[in-house]
Amino acid sequence: MTAVPVRDHEPAALRLRRMSGQVGWGILAWVVGLAFFLPVLWMVITAFKPESAAQTWPPKFVFSPTLAQFRLVFSGWGPFVTHSLIATTVSTVLVLLLGVPAAYALSVHPVPHWRDGLFFFISTKMLPIVAAIGPLYVIALKTHLLDSIWVLIILYTAMNLPLAIWLIRSFMLEVPREMLEAAELDGAGRIREIGEVILPVISPGLVSTALICVIFAWNELFLALNLTVTNAATMPMFLISSVPQEGLYLAHLSAAATVASVPVILVGWIAQRSLVRGLSMGAIK
Amino acid sequence: MANVKFVSATRVYAKDAPPAVDALDLDIKDGEFMVLVGPSGSGKTTALRMLAGLEPLDGGRVEIGEKDVTFVPPKDRDIAMVFQNYALYPSKTVAENMGFALKMQGVPKEERARRVHEAARLLDLDDTMLDRKPKALSGGQRQRVAMGRAIVREPRVFLMDEPLSNLDAKLRVQTRSQIAELQRRLGITTVYVTHDQVEAMTMGHRVAVLAGGHLQQCDTPRQLYDNPVNQFVAGFIGSPAMNLQTVPLTEGGARLAGTTLPLPTAVRTAASQAGLREIVLGIRPEHLHLANGSGPVAGEVMLVEELGADALLHVRLAEDHNLVVARTEGRKPPAPGQQVTFNVQPDDVFAFHPETGARLAG
Amino acid sequence: MTVLEDLAPPPKVEVKPRGVSRRERWQLRLPLLPALIYTVVVTQIPFLVTLWYSFQSYFWNTPAPASFNGLANYKTVFTNPAFRGSLVRSVVMTVVAVIVAMILGVLFAVLLDRKFLGRSVVRTLMITPFLVMPAAAALVWAGPMLDPQFGLLNYLLQPFGVHHVAWLSTHALGSVILVMIWQWTPFMMLIVLAGLQSQPSDTLEAAKVDGAGPFATFRELTFPHLRPYIELGILLGSIYLVNVFDAVRLMTNGGPGTATTNLPFYLFQQVNNAFDIGGAAATGVVTVILTIIVATFALRMFARVFQFEEA
Repeated sequence: MTAVPVRDHEPAALRLRRMSGQVGWGILAWVVGLAFFLPVLWMVITAFKPESAAQTWPPKFVFSPTLAQFRLVFSGWGPFVTHSLIATTVSTVLVLLLGVPAAYALSVHPVPHWRDGLFFFISTKMLPIVAAIGPLYVIALKTHLLDSIWVLIILYTAMNLPLAIWLIRSFMLEVPREMLEAAELDGAGRIREIGEVILPVISPGLVSTALICVIFAWNELFLALNLTVTNAATMPMFLISSVPQEGLYLAHLSAAATVASVPVILVGWIAQRSLVRGLSMGAIK
Repeated sequence: MANVKFVSATRVYAKDAPPAVDALDLDIKDGEFMVLVGPSGSGKTTALRMLAGLEPLDGGRVEIGEKDVTFVPPKDRDIAMVFQNYALYPSKTVAENMGFALKMQGVPKEERARRVHEAARLLDLDDTMLDRKPKALSGGQRQRVAMGRAIVREPRVFLMDEPLSNLDAKLRVQTRSQIAELQRRLGITTVYVTHDQVEAMTMGHRVAVLAGGHLQQCDTPRQLYDNPVNQFVAGFIGSPAMNLQTVPLTEGGARLAGTTLPLPTAVRTAASQAGLREIVLGIRPEHLHLANGSGPVAGEVMLVEELGADALLHVRLAEDHNLVVARTEGRKPPAPGQQVTFNVQPDDVFAFHPETGARLAG
Repeated sequence: MTVLEDLAPPPKVEVKPRGVSRRERWQLRLPLLPALIYTVVVTQIPFLVTLWYSFQSYFWNTPAPASFNGLANYKTVFTNPAFRGSLVRSVVMTVVAVIVAMILGVLFAVLLDRKFLGRSVVRTLMITPFLVMPAAAALVWAGPMLDPQFGLLNYLLQPFGVHHVAWLSTHALGSVILVMIWQWTPFMMLIVLAGLQSQPSDTLEAAKVDGAGPFATFRELTFPHLRPYIELGILLGSIYLVNVFDAVRLMTNGGPGTATTNLPFYLFQQVNNAFDIGGAAATGVVTVILTIIVATFALRMFARVFQFEEA
């Protein structure tokens, strides 16, 4: 707690101004924070309502909570969450397996034209995947990958790889030169260098990279929507299915939304510090 | 141009921790160059920042020009500060850096440019540099820009926080004399913080030695050297440092290297009044005069450091095996392993209380 | 007396010329290859296929195979007002969302830069919108928040004279943009906050001593310092926001009419509703070309912005 300290002989007017300034600032920040958080809070509150309480005017803040919506959600989410978990973890593992060596080749012992390599990767991020969705559908169909978890794994890996390479590269660049030179003097070859010197040092960075990849893969809707139906449908699809064509089911969709979002929210809260670095692709430390 | 006063100034950081600055009382005269010196953690930088208004006071007050400025914000104190890392504005050119304070005061553009040019000339910054940004400058150039930014303001007080510590040794010596000369010319009251006692001794009119948040002694360099008020000041001022050894008291003096060094009556009286059996004896290296085998203090040379004009002898004394450093002529110093003897003048011997460190009968 | 014998001259040592051998060069390249090959295959092949299909007439819902029809698809793209409309809407949505999110981001970052009670909690609250699954955010805003009869927003705005507005009908584009801003302001805020916290404190103190008040300090020192961060935020934000799909599909389904149809949604419709693979491919190619043009500028800016980390 930053207590507002008492100063000796401080003139009362000054002290009043100082203390009220500090307190006022804090109040403003809290108001803004709560206002921004309000929709999330409302989502969670609504998730505990029976539908009858969710569709009232004025909206109810006091009601008798029920777990009925959540029970519904959990009874239906089985395959969806499994698919999401598989697609997310496998693609993230692949991203790390491909990305670590690539980042290595673009940082510690850079290949000639490494700049071009870096920009090639980032250019794939700039080209909208949406542009190729039609032909992607056709390709997936013809290779029998349509509605298979593999099509998502393959595409999510490609989606997150550029980000991961930039990020991991930024972490590798922070390994002190002297450490690498000492390892070289000790006779460490390339593989040794990566495995025993670099990876241990950047392991927190690898964790934050993995978390960022998990966030993007878990939340991804567009590809899942277009390329899967039932056999590989992920959590975002589950969400859509919780909104039937007819009728208003506000409480139910809130429960589904809450369940779908909670994993990523928790991950993001825990990995807060590395969030900036991940989002800026390593530009901001 | 104004005098500066710290009156019982105190700064506490953590509730139960000892104060960073503890009831500091310091009077700095108008136009004086006052150096605050001490080891890291002594509170010297905190005291400077309290004067600047960058640290609040938890007790006491600060006065500039006989006016209480304790609650006056920095910009209204009419002071200028040179920071340790220069704190130049990276997005602005040298000229904009130097003119920034004037711009904040609303000084018109031509007047600003004139004063910036004047200060630049004073500091040997040529016009080509004025349009450059700080990152295109060398360390020494940046330091001068930082000084220029302070000079342009023509403030009542200059504050300098270890401005030379980031320069290489040669540049430091050069800039040291330039700063002292500048202050003499401009005559502005200056409070200068450093951890380097050589800087303190060569630059200040008076030097305030701080340790652990307390003022140890505030005096001219000469006085600090000749009449240190306690063991800390005696050991801090002077390079190489004064030899300080705990030795037993005997009839008529203190026992060192198997011989009794006579102590003045006043010292012996003070020691017996305090009920002391031993004292801390202080002798400066240059006061151990090499005698050709006939001196009372004997020892064996362990190491010789040849400095050119002088040589420093690290000597293990006979009997009590205390290690002392003695300074001698550089021409033909004794060799390591040689047995040597020293003469010491009674006036050159300092005695300190072994627990409080206070000088006995100064 | 020893006689010095004639010593044989030392053997000649072959000095290898300095330079990277072929083997070393492949050693350097090898780690990069898996990722490179993978990316090329997975991203470029679909693009080539797209290119091929763009010259075909291929309708997904008929048994007829693809047949070459030259530039017909492209002609349709350029004459079809729907495409141009969706392009314009994409630009409008992206520009408005990015700018408003950045302005709010700067304000909130300044707010969070000072110490106050519970600061880390507020920060956690503020980044949550960004972490909410975009599909979830879209559904929650469309339903519990903006519903004309039961929505929270109408309730909160009642004291201001707002009565049961059907946001998704009358202010569809605004609603979608609102959700985009809600989700992306935390992103901008975090980037700007990193910039604020990287400002050396002694420069700010020097400004205090030099007589700069808080507004002057922000204008003269902080804002120039923040520029690369703001540029990075705008750049990255635009890249992400131009591809927004979830909110459009789940809040308004592109409507009413085509009021909220942006480029990604338009492409989606072509594939899913019109079953027009050829047309979608041509639209896709045009989109990619436009993106390349914009991206060339963006990449140059990217390079410059990423330099600042070296400075």
